[in-house]
Amino acid sequence: MASVKLTDVKKVYDNNVTAVHDFNLEIQDKEFIVFVGPSGCGKSTTLRMIAGLEDISGGTLEIDGQVVNDLQPKDRDIAMVFQNYALYPHMTVYDNIAFSLRLKKVPEDEVYERVTNAAQILGITEYLTRKPRALSGGQRQRVAIGRAMVRNAKVFLMDEPLSNLDAKLRNQMRAEIIQLRHKLETTFIYVTHDQTEAMTLGDRIVIMRDGVIEQVGTPQEVFDTPVNLFVAGFIGSPQMNFLKASLQRSGDAYSVSLLGVTLPLNPDQNAVLARKNAGDQQVILGIRPEHTAVLFAPDENAIECTIDVNEMMGSELHLHLTDKNGDNIIVRLPTMDLTQEQRRSLSYGSRLFISFPAKAMHLFDPGTEKSLIDG
Amino acid sequence: MSEATAKRHMGLRASRTVSNTLIHVLLIVISIIWLIPFVCIVLQSFRVENTGPVGYIIPHQWGTGNYTRLFQTDFPRWYTNTFIAALATAALQTVIVLCMSYTLSRFRFKMRQPLMRFMLILGMFPGMLSMIILYRVLKDLGLTQANAVPGLILVYVASSGMGYYVSKGFFDTIPMSLDEAARVDGATRAKILYKIILPLSKPIVIYTILTAFMGPWGDYVFARYIAFGTSAGKNVAVGLYDWLNKDQISNCYTMFCAGGVLVALPVTILFLFLQKYYVEGVTGGAVKG
Repeated sequence: MASVKLTDVKKVYDNNVTAVHDFNLEIQDKEFIVFVGPSGCGKSTTLRMIAGLEDISGGTLEIDGQVVNDLQPKDRDIAMVFQNYALYPHMTVYDNIAFSLRLKKVPEDEVYERVTNAAQILGITEYLTRKPRALSGGQRQRVAIGRAMVRNAKVFLMDEPLSNLDAKLRNQMRAEIIQLRHKLETTFIYVTHDQTEAMTLGDRIVIMRDGVIEQVGTPQEVFDTPVNLFVAGFIGSPQMNFLKASLQRSGDAYSVSLLGVTLPLNPDQNAVLARKNAGDQQVILGIRPEHTAVLFAPDENAIECTIDVNEMMGSELHLHLTDKNGDNIIVRLPTMDLTQEQRRSLSYGSRLFISFPAKAMHLFDPGTEKSLIDG
Repeated sequence: MSEATAKRHMGLRASRTVSNTLIHVLLIVISIIWLIPFVCIVLQSFRVENTGPVGYIIPHQWGTGNYTRLFQTDFPRWYTNTFIAALATAALQTVIVLCMSYTLSRFRFKMRQPLMRFMLILGMFPGMLSMIILYRVLKDLGLTQANAVPGLILVYVASSGMGYYVSKGFFDTIPMSLDEAARVDGATRAKILYKIILPLSKPIVIYTILTAFMGPWGDYVFARYIAFGTSAGKNVAVGLYDWLNKDQISNCYTMFCAGGVLVALPVTILFLFLQKYYVEGVTGGAVKG
């Protein structure tokens, strides 16, 4: 249970490649923070620097107010779960979990108590006498979590713990991690490349690209108000649609026109743009697949598209559309309220009309890629 | 099954039988050729009618006299010398080699690559080259002749760090994340080596001990050089070989054979028990050598 503070933390490798640029973040006590980003974005490197497995090239790292830059991992009071579990193959599950306690010379009866307690929480009591190779992937991951749990460490680090599991097990373990988090009440730092994991687990999400933090915020914040094109595209599945458009100003009111339609913005968006004194300019319009309204008949504010692919997901349809310019747009359409006739009309090559509600529109500057109205 | 396929089936089976038989006959012949010298030595060691070399193999008179005679010579002293040198070398060299391998496998430090290359090149020079200077140094330290054993241990162990290849190759196959997990769990580097890496490298540890033991056990050139002139400093190889010179051979030949059997015995037993690990060690290290 501790806060973690990173100030200008930097990682430069021997070959002068900078993996992490001035990383600044303050993680509160008992917070669950998720580092998310594509591979090579420096999220794992940052986590390993916090763990002490990588040297910190610059800046300071504080755990509980104490600078720990030069401390060995064992002196930082952290626990870590690895992607490939990293269980000791020659030890039984019990010995694996007990390893750290025995190193600390905890009396054997207390070791027993803590190991069996952790095993009970994780549902692995019956496997305690087995060797790791006799366990399935999910069970191994539980043991790895158990090994970290018994330490009662200040900070709990997890490096893509679910990515070696199959989809079903991953969902199950994700739910278990959420429960575990409430039981343990400690500070969690979790690394993943999967935005779904990030959204469901994190109190706050840190979105990284090329060693730089792009945005930090709650899942709702990063979803609703992405600060740039990268975040907008990374968070959300299927990803946000991006279309070329132009922004027009008339007095304090703005509108966006694309593909022959002009869409007025709402008062909040107008206020932000007016404050920034934005003028007429080219913009990139972002709209999420689930925020796009589907009309089955032409309308003056609707954009005409052709259906390329119709993916049936059960509760909803994912429609892949092409507009007049040849750009692709993906739309999520709930199936519940569709009539039989409407369903039939959604076949390959048929026409469809979509419109964008003003509050769901995101505008980005094509040059800086920064959001014009969010953040 | 039609007749034609049945016939072909038979043909295949027949040809396999023929080739298997040929291979086995060949292997038997090779092993006989290999074993003949050993059998001869054992048989000669039990021959009591004549102590010199003779023109036949099967003894006319059997007895253990050669073995009992051995213990009236300096042989027990030589045997102890060899045993102490081999044991001490095995222990020290194993520790050094394993620490060296772990360091080169797990730590990343400046000059690591150049150091490895340097040792590789250094290892290509025959050790004999250093004999004269080593003799000089050992003589000044008073570690020659009767005090040859500690001198020999020093020489055998001194360059052992260079024999890291096989075990480093093996350590490289153990995932680094095990080390990292142990470091986070609170283990020091030494504890990681002792509690995680070594238990996972049993074959390579045994291989290292065996090879470290075998070197001094069979060494002749260096041992002879350092022990020159004194019987007390000889090891078995030197002592036994000296019985084969012109003056002594007629008296000591069968004793030489008995000594040879006693030298081979512990090593043979050791290998019989540990051969599984030895083979695993050689091949295991070779995967990523």
